[in-house]
Parts: sequence; structure tokens; C-alpha cells
Amino acid sequence: MEQFKKKYVEEAVDLIADLEKSLLELERDFENKNVIEKIFRVMHSLKGGSAMFGFDLIDNFTHHLESIYDNVRTDKIKIDDELLNITLDAVDHLKSLLNEENTINPNFIHTHEQKLEIVKQISNKVLTKNTVQNVQQKIINSNYRTYHIYFKPDVNIFKNGTNPLFIIDDISLLGFSKAFPNYSGLPEFSEIDVEGCYIAWDVFLSTSEPFDLIKDIFIFVDSECEIKIEELASFNLMNDDNFCSFLTQMYNDGYKIDIGLIKSNIKIIENDFINKEISVLDNNRNENVFINREATISSIRVASEKLDDLIDWVSELVTIQARLSLYAEHNADSEIGSIAEEVEKISRRLRDNVFSIRLIPIENMVTRFQRLVRELSHELKKEIVFETEGTETELDKNIIESLNDPIMHIIRNCIDHGIEDSETRISKGKKVVGKIKLKAFYSGTSVYIQISDDGKGIDISKVKKMALEKQLITDDSILSEKEILDFVFLPGFSTAQEVTKVSGRGVGMDVVKRKITDLRGEVDITSEINKGTVVTVKLPLTLSIIDGLLVKIEHSHFVIPLASVDKCFEFKHEVFAKNKTNIIYAGSEHISYTYLRDMFDMQDITPEIESLVVIEFNDTKVGMVVDSIVGQYQAVLKPLGAMYKKQDIVSGATILGDGTVALVVDPIKIINKVIDN
Amino acid sequence: MEEIKMSVNKTNEIKSYLSFRLSEEIFAANVYKVLNILEMRTITKIPQAPDYMKGVINLRGNVLPVVDLRIKFGLPITEITVDTCIIVLNINLDGGSIMVGALVDAVKEVLELNDEDIEPAPSIGTKYNANFIQGMYRVNENFVMILNIDHVFNTDELINVNETADKLNTEEIKE
Amino acid sequence: MGKTILIVDDSESIREVVSFTLEGAGHSVLKGVDGQDALKLLDGKDIDLIITDLHMPIMDGISLIREVRQKEQYKFVPILFLTTESQTEKKMEAKEAGATGWIVKPFVPEKLLAAINKVVR
Repeated sequence: MEQFKKKYVEEAVDLIADLEKSLLELERDFENKNVIEKIFRVMHSLKGGSAMFGFDLIDNFTHHLESIYDNVRTDKIKIDDELLNITLDAVDHLKSLLNEENTINPNFIHTHEQKLEIVKQISNKVLTKNTVQNVQQKIINSNYRTYHIYFKPDVNIFKNGTNPLFIIDDISLLGFSKAFPNYSGLPEFSEIDVEGCYIAWDVFLSTSEPFDLIKDIFIFVDSECEIKIEELASFNLMNDDNFCSFLTQMYNDGYKIDIGLIKSNIKIIENDFINKEISVLDNNRNENVFINREATISSIRVASEKLDDLIDWVSELVTIQARLSLYAEHNADSEIGSIAEEVEKISRRLRDNVFSIRLIPIENMVTRFQRLVRELSHELKKEIVFETEGTETELDKNIIESLNDPIMHIIRNCIDHGIEDSETRISKGKKVVGKIKLKAFYSGTSVYIQISDDGKGIDISKVKKMALEKQLITDDSILSEKEILDFVFLPGFSTAQEVTKVSGRGVGMDVVKRKITDLRGEVDITSEINKGTVVTVKLPLTLSIIDGLLVKIEHSHFVIPLASVDKCFEFKHEVFAKNKTNIIYAGSEHISYTYLRDMFDMQDITPEIESLVVIEFNDTKVGMVVDSIVGQYQAVLKPLGAMYKKQDIVSGATILGDGTVALVVDPIKIINKVIDN
Repeated sequence: MEEIKMSVNKTNEIKSYLSFRLSEEIFAANVYKVLNILEMRTITKIPQAPDYMKGVINLRGNVLPVVDLRIKFGLPITEITVDTCIIVLNINLDGGSIMVGALVDAVKEVLELNDEDIEPAPSIGTKYNANFIQGMYRVNENFVMILNIDHVFNTDELINVNETADKLNTEEIKE
Repeated sequence: MGKTILIVDDSESIREVVSFTLEGAGHSVLKGVDGQDALKLLDGKDIDLIITDLHMPIMDGISLIREVRQKEQYKFVPILFLTTESQTEKKMEAKEAGATGWIVKPFVPEKLLAAINKVVR
């Protein structure tokens, strides 16, 4: 059972995350029926599993949450901010309930009870008449009651595929019972249909279950049966030996049950029962025996080193495959050609699979940020919307985990220091509602996460003043805006006028920078007064394979990430040679271009026909002139390593089929360089 | 593509050093730092890097940076010959361990030396020279400079070994 | 005799417990994550029993039961649904859709097997 329990916990973590996400969605539109349905369904799933796997606290807790949202979806109550706050708080609480260590901590249990009381009150407040009755009944029924059930199935019940004995079984599962067959309906032998059912049953049942549950048993047969259920006593008759022997004796005497006689007998017993504590355990209900046996599991946890190993091997396979393809190309044997093609297909698929194992979408952490924006903006009485774009962008799980804190901090800064309060925004003629946007995207071998706000921006002059005070610069230092802005990444640098409990003074950006550098990433900041601030975090895809365009200059190969390639053209060399502006008309537009050979300090011997590869980023297009285009290439990215950390137009290298090394260019850096010139 | 694997000698008293030639000078590095010796092969140049960073090569599917120690040490560059090779070294850099290829004119031999065979490095020199040489070993009339490999690769600066070599020679004359 | 049983539940842990129990009892198990998935899995296969959750995304249990009953081949295949105790309306709805019976959550393996033995012979 343990392994299923673990599975449930994993599942519950996902469900809770789902719940949180949906609740935040709901905040944007209280009336969104689909989202409400989803919330209800998720709560239901959460509850279903919790009871199965022994998380009774969660079971009980989600039961109340579920009934609240059942009422929401049936329009019995309306969602408002308060309810949403309580639910979100409950969601947080659910997370800690999943940790079983918590549940043995008395302090935690105390908190739990408080939180339970809150949701209970709401779920009770909105109870409909019907459910009030149910609840009351449940309370009353927490003690045992004894019923007489008369069950006479239709003669044809077998023909419908129902076995009446199973109904008797079902009844017996509810508590303590005795069943007596009643043969009074048996016809003459000559009239008996061998497939007919002529027996009725008198069942005596003592149960703590609600009356409805007994009725439910007959739901599937009620149209074809005669059923009478009568309460005989408000206590457990079936554990009274006298009563049981009385029943048996009576039955054995004439195979008949005389209810009148029984009732008068009960009156006698009843007096004995009054004030008697009944604490007999219901064996059926408390059975907790689970089969414990080696199980087949559909998902397993693997040590990350094993994954790394796997990735290494796949990378080697891809490299070898490139060699095979190259060999096949130079070989007239069509057989080897088709084998090489197959191998390429398979290794491509294998590569995608293996790499996807470690990657998770950034979306996974976005919910947390949404919560942060929501709660902090409430607290600071600012109106802020949080938008996301490209959250499907995937990153290595480890990177995502370590990224949480720094990004949290950046967003906190946006809320606290970036976005102004409503009055200020109105007076500046800005939209009242501030905006924070998180945008993620791939570029080359990196993933970029950009957090922008439309707040007041960073005052460069203030930063400069502080740098002077701290004697980091002198009066006559000539610094670009960017250089000045970079000071905010130094320890103890904050231009915030007031110290707030949210981001404090100056704690932050230096830590952010350090953490991101630890991930071998970079962080960059741009800001414009009254327009806002953009923080860009660049992260490496530690080790990865990309689809690239293989190009050639002289004898050297280069890989351009295919994702950023827009179009390719061929021109005669003289077209470039005569051009003095470095802008060429290609396709249907004018494009600035550069000679890649210049960037790589290569000799200036150009072929007659050259190729122009147009790369695009953020709607900016730039051309790169290369000797020729070799074709598409699946490139296993290899980092250049710490010794080359200072160069920046190459983001990695890859090994070609012939064993030589090709450099993978960083298109964004190239675009920026071309634009700067 | 012959590769000679070096065995790691772990005894305390006798340490093994691989000696190699750069220009006319002989240097040595502790064998436990040496992972491999490779034949010369095509080096892919990386832009925007100092001259001594020759580029990268493919080492069994991985990208290995190659440093031209002659340029790094300010020694004259000689032609590439059949003897030119790349020594793959394991270097501690910024707290981590990386592999680096060192381009040398020739690999000489493995020296088995006691600690007392090694004489201290001359006391003067630039701040870099002070710690990049672990000690000297005298072979006939010549010195082998035993390098502290980690220090050599932990600086971006060029190291002027001539200064040290000259200093050695002057001391030699004095004696 | 091992039967072929289809379990439909959006919760993986429930699916796993059910299939673990059933496989332990010698049945073979197909697993579906929602109604639509289940219909795809059925695909004309011989199935002895369907066990389905009621609340599921995409296609819920009730719709699944209705869809299954539409198909000539599965008109008489027993269908059990998983439910929590307090849902009498749901049970009625499921019954009208064509379910054979239900299993109350939470359940222990024995209870599950007992319920199944009632409907498959």
C-alpha cells in the first residue's frame, strides 16, 4: 500500500497545484463555470484518494471544501474575494497536510482544527435544507439503529442478471445482520419456473450508517422487488444475545418471522439498553488489511545521475549517428543509406524522449508568482495584474527549482518598488492597474525569462549618486546608463526611499545575481523612468540537443539554431562586395547583414556565390553571410567551458560526423552586434 | 589517433612527473594531473579569446579547450611537427575541476622523483611566477621546471617564464 | 478465471490500487483516464466488466455509461461505478444511464473483489 500512498501524494501535489491555478483563474472571472466545475472536480479527486490512502484529515477537510464548491457550482452561493482567500489559504493548508510528519505535531493539529472550523462554518452556512437533514441524520446515526428489512424480489429477478443474495450481502456489509429466508411465496411444485425466484428475506440489521444508505442498496432492484424497511430500535439489537437467540428460535419454530412478536420483545430489551454505552466495533468497517506485495508501478523515481548518464549516451549516439549519415552519404550503397536514415529517425525520437524526462515547463512555478502578486498587491493596496507568456517553455527541473527564489524576489521588487499606487498612476496618466509580465522563451541554447513591469522605473541619477557615496565611481567617471544600472546588482544597493517589510532595503538584487550566476546564467536589467523596468534572466539549457542549420565558411562549420532562422538566400559575391551600406534587399524587405567570417576573424577569401541566412529575434531580422549552407543538423550542444566564458557570440559547440568541432552561434548576440554597428 | 594512458602513481615518497618541451625549455607536471596525451589534430578557433587560447578539439565526444602554453609563457612559437601533441590535464578552476588540453612541442619522459630531488624555485619573479613553479629538477646542465599546473591555468595573464629561466641561469653561473 | 476489466479513473493512484488488486486476483486490466479515453480503449474489445469513476474531466462517468450502453456489443457488460457514500442522486443518475452497481470509496481490496465477484461470473 505504501507505494500507492506515495503515488497519491505525488498526485495530490499536482492536484493541489491545479487547484491553486484554477482558483487564481477564478479570481479573474468569478462566473467562469468551467473553472468552478474543474475546482469541484479536483477537490473531489483529492478527497476520493485521501480516504483510500489513509489521509483522514485531508478527507475530512476536503469534504467541506467540496461541499462549499458544490454549492458554488449549483449557484447556491457566490464566489467573493473572502471565499477565495479562505480557499487559497485552505489550499496551502492541504499542502502541509500531505506531509504526514506534520500530522503528529500537536501544534499543527491545533492549526488544522482552526482551519477546519473556518471551512466547516462556510460549508454549514451554505447547506441547503436537504443537506442539513443529511448532516443531522449523520449525527444521530453515529449511534447504532436496528432495522427490519423485508425484501421480496420479483420472480424474474434472475433473468435480469441480478442475484438477490448479493443484495443480502450488501446489507450485511453495513453492520451486524441476520437474514432469514421466507418461503411463503413458494408455489406448487408443478407451477415452479426453474429460473424463477420465489424466496423473500427478512433481514435484521443494526448499523450506524444513515438510513439512505440502506435504501441505496435497492436502487438497482427497486422496480422489481417489494421492499419494506422499518426501524425497530434506536440501538444495536444484533449484539444482544437474547434477541438473537429469540429470533433464531422463533424462526426455527415455524420458518416465519412475526414482526408483532418481535416488537413486543424489543420493548423488554429496550429497557435494559437505556443508558448503556455501546462501543462494539463494526468489523466490516474497520478492516484495514491491505495486500502487501511487490507491485508493478507505472512511474518510478530515478537518481538524476542515471538520467545524466542516459543523456550522455544519447548524445554520443546522436554524434555517432551523424558519422553514419556522413558515411552513407559518401557511399553509393542504398542499403546503408536507408539504414542511416532509420537510425537518424530513431535517435531523434530517442533524443526527444530522453531530454523531455528532465524538462518541466516554467508554468509549474508560475502559480506561486501569481499568488505572490495577488497577496502582496492586496497588502500594499496596489492594483496589479500578472500576465504570463511562453510558460510552456521548458527548463531542467533542477534549474527551475533553484530559480524560484530569485524570480520571486524580482517580482517582489516589481510590486513593492516598481508599480506605483493608484493615485500616483492616475496623476501620471497611466492605467490605474499596474502590470507585471513574465515572459519566457528560447533562444539558441538559452532560455530567457523576462520580468517586466510598467511602474516608475529606476532613477539612474539616484543610482549614480549612491555609487558616488559608496565611492564606487568618481565624479569624472564616464559611465553608460547600462553600466550605472548594473550597480543595483551590488550588495547593499537599493534606491528605495523607504524600507518596507516586503523587499527591505537593498537585500535582493545582489543575491538574485549570485543565485543566477550559480546556475551559469546571466541577469540583465533595463529601465526607463515612468515606463518601467525589465529584468532579463538568461539561463543555459545545461546540456541539450537542438535542431540547427549547418553552414560552412571555408573549412569551418557553424550551427545556427533553426528556431531563429527565418529565410535563406543566395547572392553573387559581387552583390555584397559592391554594397557599401551593409543593407541588402532580400525577399521583400531590407535587411542589415554582417559577414560571419569577420566576426570569426577568418580570411577574406570568398566564393563566387555566397549564402545569406536571415535570423530573426523579437521582430528584428538580421542577415549573416556564409560561404554555403550544408543543411539541417541535429546538434548535440557541448558547453565551451569555463575557459571561454568571456566570449559571447558562440553559445556552445557540437561534434560533427567527421569528428571535427563546429561552433553554435548565439543568434541574439549576433543580432545585437549588428544593430549596435 | 594513438593515445597513451598514463598510470597514476600514488606513493608518497616517489612522485611521477611528465616532462615536456616548450620551445627550448623543459617543463614537467605531476602525472596525476595528466589524463591523456593526444596527437595534434584540427583545433577549432573560438572568436574573442586571447591568443594563447587556441580553440577547442573533440575529445571523445566532448569539447576540450586547448591552450598554447608557448604563447602563455611568452616563448617563441615553433612549427608544428610530428612531435607536437596535446596533453590533457585535469585542472582545478574556481573550485571546480575541468579538463584542459595543453599544446606542447614534444613529450619527453616520465620522471620518478623524490621530494628531495626537487629544489625550490628561485625566490624572485613576478607575482605569477612566484607560485606557478613548484620547484626545479636538475638534469645534467639543465633544469626542468616543475609546474604547479592549477596555478598556470587559473590566471588569464601571460606568464613570463623567460624571466625565471634567466634567473636560474644567472644563479647557475654564480655557483 | 481471469476476466478483462476496464478501470476508468482520472486519479492515477486509484487506478493503480484497483489494477493492482485485480491483477493480483488474476484478472487483466485496462486503464482509462477519462470517459473518452475509456471509449477509445474499448474499441470493440471483449470486456467482462467496466469500473468507472463518476467525476472525471473531459468525459464524466455518467456520459461514459450512456455511451457504452449505446453500443450493441456492450449492452450487457456489467458496469460498476465508484462513488462516495453521500451521493444518492448520482447513484440514481448512474443507474438510469445503465450502470449495474457501485463501489463505495474508500474501499479495501477485499471489498472491491467481493463487489466484482458479484457481477462477473
